[in-house]
Amino acid sequence: MMAKIKKIDANILRLIMILIVFLIIACVTQPTNFMKADNFRSMAKQMTEYGLMALGVGVCMISGGIDLSCVYIANLSGITAGLMMQSMSTTSSGSGYILLSVLVAILVGAACGIFNGFLISYLRIPAMLATLGSYQLFMGISIVISNGSTVSGIPEGYTMWGTTLLAGIPFAFVVFLICIILLSLIMSKTRFGQKVYLVGTNAKAAKFAGIKNNSVLIRSYMISGILSAIAGLLSLARINSAKADFGSSYTMQTILIVVLGGVNPDGGFGSIPGIAIAVVILQLLSSYLNMFPNISNYYRDLIWGVALIAVLILNFVTNKRKQARLAKAS
Amino acid sequence: MKKLKNLTKQSEFYVFIIIVVLSIIIQARSGLFFANNNIVDTVRSMIVPSIYALCALLSFVSTGPDVSFPLIAALSTYLALITTNALGMGESMVIVFVFAIVYGSIMGALNGIIIVKYKFPSLIVTLGTSSIFSGILLGAFEAERMDLPAGLQRMGKASLLSVKNAETGLGSTLPMTFLILVALYVITYLVLNYTMVGRGVYAVGGDEVSAERAGFNVKKIRFGVFTANGAIAAIGGVCYAVMSMRYLPTEYAGGEMIVIAAIVLGGTRMAGGVGTLKGCILGTLLLTMVSNSLILIGISVYWQKVFIGAIIIIGTAVSALQSYGASRVKSKVKEAA
Repeated sequence: MMAKIKKIDANILRLIMILIVFLIIACVTQPTNFMKADNFRSMAKQMTEYGLMALGVGVCMISGGIDLSCVYIANLSGITAGLMMQSMSTTSSGSGYILLSVLVAILVGAACGIFNGFLISYLRIPAMLATLGSYQLFMGISIVISNGSTVSGIPEGYTMWGTTLLAGIPFAFVVFLICIILLSLIMSKTRFGQKVYLVGTNAKAAKFAGIKNNSVLIRSYMISGILSAIAGLLSLARINSAKADFGSSYTMQTILIVVLGGVNPDGGFGSIPGIAIAVVILQLLSSYLNMFPNISNYYRDLIWGVALIAVLILNFVTNKRKQARLAKAS
Repeated sequence: MKKLKNLTKQSEFYVFIIIVVLSIIIQARSGLFFANNNIVDTVRSMIVPSIYALCALLSFVSTGPDVSFPLIAALSTYLALITTNALGMGESMVIVFVFAIVYGSIMGALNGIIIVKYKFPSLIVTLGTSSIFSGILLGAFEAERMDLPAGLQRMGKASLLSVKNAETGLGSTLPMTFLILVALYVITYLVLNYTMVGRGVYAVGGDEVSAERAGFNVKKIRFGVFTANGAIAAIGGVCYAVMSMRYLPTEYAGGEMIVIAAIVLGGTRMAGGVGTLKGCILGTLLLTMVSNSLILIGISVYWQKVFIGAIIIIGTAVSALQSYGASRVKSKVKEAA
């Protein structure tokens, strides 16, 4: 147990070091543009959406699976909320209907997650395939209910949350912080969190230890669904519209962040704070690259791909060294 | 009788039945499914996905998912086109294919090295490399749509078979790339079934340790599979350019998930070791039919994704439950013995 805590800490330490080194480079090379409150505010808003989804994917990956459908759950929830607000804004007043739409959207997200969990646990479909199929399904449902067009005309009572600042911090980012803290507590302090790690490390052993694997998996995917729904709601407030195929490239990005944050793709290892720091690093990197107008946006793909594989190899080498040291010690 | 029993155990058989039922429904509702032009159209739109399906099949059977083939196809086709243009050898279509295969193999080998050396999950590695390839293609080269050299243009205009529906007046042609598809499948069939290496691909995926003990070189086989995947993807990429008569760099990405779904529907096991070419073709045919022919029975395009998603989920659930059931029966037999 001690060794495990130490391992996670070493990983977070390394991530924080990368973050600091990167901030120093950014400060030195782009002092005027980069180090502005405005820039940080826009970064905070941008990272929230895929950050939330990455947290969800992280939980699924710790449980030994993967969730490829998070972007489309987010879009489906966003479209649901948008359509409800659109239709009710003409007949009702006050903000009750907005709250209702938000609640329904989160329920939709939770239901999508439970559906994924059901496919993976009871029907034993491999997680990648189950979410691959369900993302087509969720995207299809989004297209059907939105008639394939963009949902817009969101009442101002809701979109104002996209611009609200709480003590200078964008509202969306505050939500993100709350989610990070809650999820870290859930994963590290509660029984459920421990069970997720156990199921991810060895599903058979977990079963013999008396854990109900199916219910743990369903709850993990439900968490991912709820987080995706929140991401969808925040993006609805930020860009004032929702669309069935919005943010398709986020899928790859979330997996990259989760692996970068130190989660083992085979399950069982990783931590929520690690993922959160990886989100920040990635956003800093991409905003920093935006400061150079002559660098095409597509270079980001290249850099992220290289970063993903470099981090994988780095983790592999350090783990191997550690194992060699342990073997020597024993 | 025993043969029939064996048949019902294969998921290919169920896919085949679904295809028959679906085609009869479409025919009954629209009367257009078995029209000559619709059949040729369906075959035509199956060509590129079926070539990609080979990549997906080989990687799944031996190691795990490979999602980099669309971008290997895009990048190797682009590199092959600019190389032939620079060398002024655009007259010959073979040269373009040769260059594309070389470039594709290099990219596939990169996947292979990383996966074999570090034993990383192939999904994550190929996600990473496809991101790199897309960065190189659209960022470093700033690839844009371009016309094909003369040789490929001639190939694109030539047709094997040209049909015209007498009733509707709609025509359709079967392109030359169909021959490439057939050749690839024949070669893959022979290699997989009649050579030691081919059996090794299945053995490695079925059980790595047993394969190694049986004398197969697991690392070499996996590396070979990913290199070959790169080459096959490159051929698919050039075929796609030939069929659309133009090179469109942004049209390649995003096809991987449907292809994977198709081969899994066709009975390829996610855990490795099981998968057939027959299944590849049937799975691809089913998904192509769904995406091409739903309009024929009056279902709006909006519902297409819902249908594809539902088919993937139901198909994979059936095969997942089947294999789970089989493993339970086996362990029961063991207990009894």
